[in-house]
Amino acid sequence: MNNETKKKLNERYERELNRGERFWPDTIFKDVIVSIGIFTLLIILATFVGVSPEPKADPSDTSYIPRPEWYFLFLFKFLALYGQIPLLGKIEWIATVLVPGIAIGVLTLLPFIEKNPNRYYGKRVLPISIMAIMVVGIVLLTLLSDVPTVSADGSTLLGTLQAISGLVIPGLAMVLLFLMSFVFKTTTRLMVWTTVLAAVSMILISGTVLALAPAPEVAETEVPTTLVDQIVAGQDLYSVHCTECHGDDGSVAVIEGVEGLEGEKITPINSRDVLYTITDSAMSEVIAYGRPNAGMTPFGKAYGGELSKSEIDYMIVFMRYMWDDRFEAPKLKPLFPALAEGEVPSYNVHIQPIVKRYCVSCHREGKTNNNYLMTSYEEILTTGDNVANNIIAGDENSYLLQVIQEHPIMNPEKPDEELIRVMPLNRTLKPNIVDVFIRWIMNGMPQTAEEAATLSTTPTPAVTPTP
Amino acid sequence: MWKKIYEWLDERLGLNAMYTNLLDRPEPRGNWWNTLGSASLFLFVLQGLTGIFLTVYYTPSPDHAYDSITYIMEGVAFGWLIRGIHHWGATLMVVVVFIHMLRVFVTASFKYPRELTWLIGIGLFLTTLGMGFTGYLLPWNQRAFWATTVGTQIAGTAPLVGEFILKALRGGPDLSALTLQRFFSGHIWMLPAALAGLIGVHLYLIIRHGESYYPNKED
Repeated sequence: MNNETKKKLNERYERELNRGERFWPDTIFKDVIVSIGIFTLLIILATFVGVSPEPKADPSDTSYIPRPEWYFLFLFKFLALYGQIPLLGKIEWIATVLVPGIAIGVLTLLPFIEKNPNRYYGKRVLPISIMAIMVVGIVLLTLLSDVPTVSADGSTLLGTLQAISGLVIPGLAMVLLFLMSFVFKTTTRLMVWTTVLAAVSMILISGTVLALAPAPEVAETEVPTTLVDQIVAGQDLYSVHCTECHGDDGSVAVIEGVEGLEGEKITPINSRDVLYTITDSAMSEVIAYGRPNAGMTPFGKAYGGELSKSEIDYMIVFMRYMWDDRFEAPKLKPLFPALAEGEVPSYNVHIQPIVKRYCVSCHREGKTNNNYLMTSYEEILTTGDNVANNIIAGDENSYLLQVIQEHPIMNPEKPDEELIRVMPLNRTLKPNIVDVFIRWIMNGMPQTAEEAATLSTTPTPAVTPTP
Repeated sequence: MWKKIYEWLDERLGLNAMYTNLLDRPEPRGNWWNTLGSASLFLFVLQGLTGIFLTVYYTPSPDHAYDSITYIMEGVAFGWLIRGIHHWGATLMVVVVFIHMLRVFVTASFKYPRELTWLIGIGLFLTTLGMGFTGYLLPWNQRAFWATTVGTQIAGTAPLVGEFILKALRGGPDLSALTLQRFFSGHIWMLPAALAGLIGVHLYLIIRHGESYYPNKED
């Protein structure tokens, strides 16, 4: 750029200044208004949208689908689409380093690449067209980031369409624009139309892909954040995974009724010997890795178990606050709302939480339990080797009611042999829990609170379902 | 009384000179799109302030990072608001800085005499992305952990130097306490320092050359 052009530009700027405004207060006034607007928007977002809770990082959980930050999603998608290209797609660094590197390099050196002094957009059709296609592409790739390139049925149709709208059209359009600008020297009108056509077809194809794509599965995991929620979550997990051997209060010293571990002596895990001497992190390792030599299987995902790091942490929080006398437990909601005179309990409100805490540990898939599963309403009523006699509406001789009241069921063919032992194995249920079962079965096993309410003899106060 | 104090201060600080040089300047007729730069600055200051509050309770270790954030959200008075503003402010800052760059591109404000302002601006944009990238890991939750895993993996695919970059970012072959520690250090010391320095130069250049005017057919 020669000095004459520079002088002309500077004079032009002086002219603009003369018909302009003052920095203070005119310019600053606008800036302040926009900043206040942004601040208000942030407070609204923080208050009404908030930050969605996530479980704690778990390096061993390889089932988690990794996703980068939202503003890198387009790059992630670009990478996935690029990987579909035969041959070239195998050289990963072209997409991860070379292409972004060139893009950033061109952007950085822009003032030295586009050296002409033209500023009016009508005189800058090529750079603005390229940028427009880039921005449309970035937005579309971000929107498409959740759509898989290969559908569940193995069809690559969506992947191909995505590649066309995300790679082929923008790539071709850019090459075409360069050719039009430097080789064919076409009119700007034609270039603008090319850009518009490319952008519209990209949007249409991406829109089609989004419409065709299966709705992504939203796996809403509830993350307990308050102490009370964590204790409850820990107790639920403990009930399912630990009660079988350790008992629902951790007091078991000799294991009973567990195949392969019958009579095994263990230290009660609610004792000071355990709670005072084992730190949280050591306890977490014990639960994750187990004690294979002593018969305790691994529970952490890292060692082939089912529990994530967070879940193990909740269990430890539960153990500390319930059994460790150095911790003061916060007020917890009762397991189920107490029954009034004549009130009929329902599965949803009463039976489910009880069963979850005292029964499911053994009565679920993969345990020795006479094939009696108790993880849902249907299972409780329809599974088990003794399903015919197990739960009979209105019959107090139902096997379930007998065994929880310490009457074992004897085998009718061999009178000395117990067909079903007393349940639960290590302890007796509290009378109020037994009462819930009796009232439930005697009144025909209602599932919902509404059904139970119609069966009740006195008007029941409104019951709030326990979470 | 106030006048006397003002005169005393002016003698020593040069307030009048500051007013004429910094505030009472002519500018071309303004445009609402030109407020995006100051909006980015505002967001930077806001992120700085909320970030400083967050460091009061945040602990950069894998054992405690997650719990300390849970505590900020549940236990600390208005902790949820501070964290919420910081969280959404990060997103908004990336958006605002990007649109600011687009505006400068479309009006060709990067041309003579503002080439250097553009170069510094690209530095600011990349540093802002770096702030987002390092800050994302700090909550040490699943999303953060795996986002950083893939992010560093992508950086590690570079030919020849990839392995080195990957290990330098992670502080070893895998994500660990070291990764969290260096992302934290980068997020609260290195990158903000770089950002503040670059912003200083950027602002100096803007004051020196003035804001660009909105171009018309003449240009």
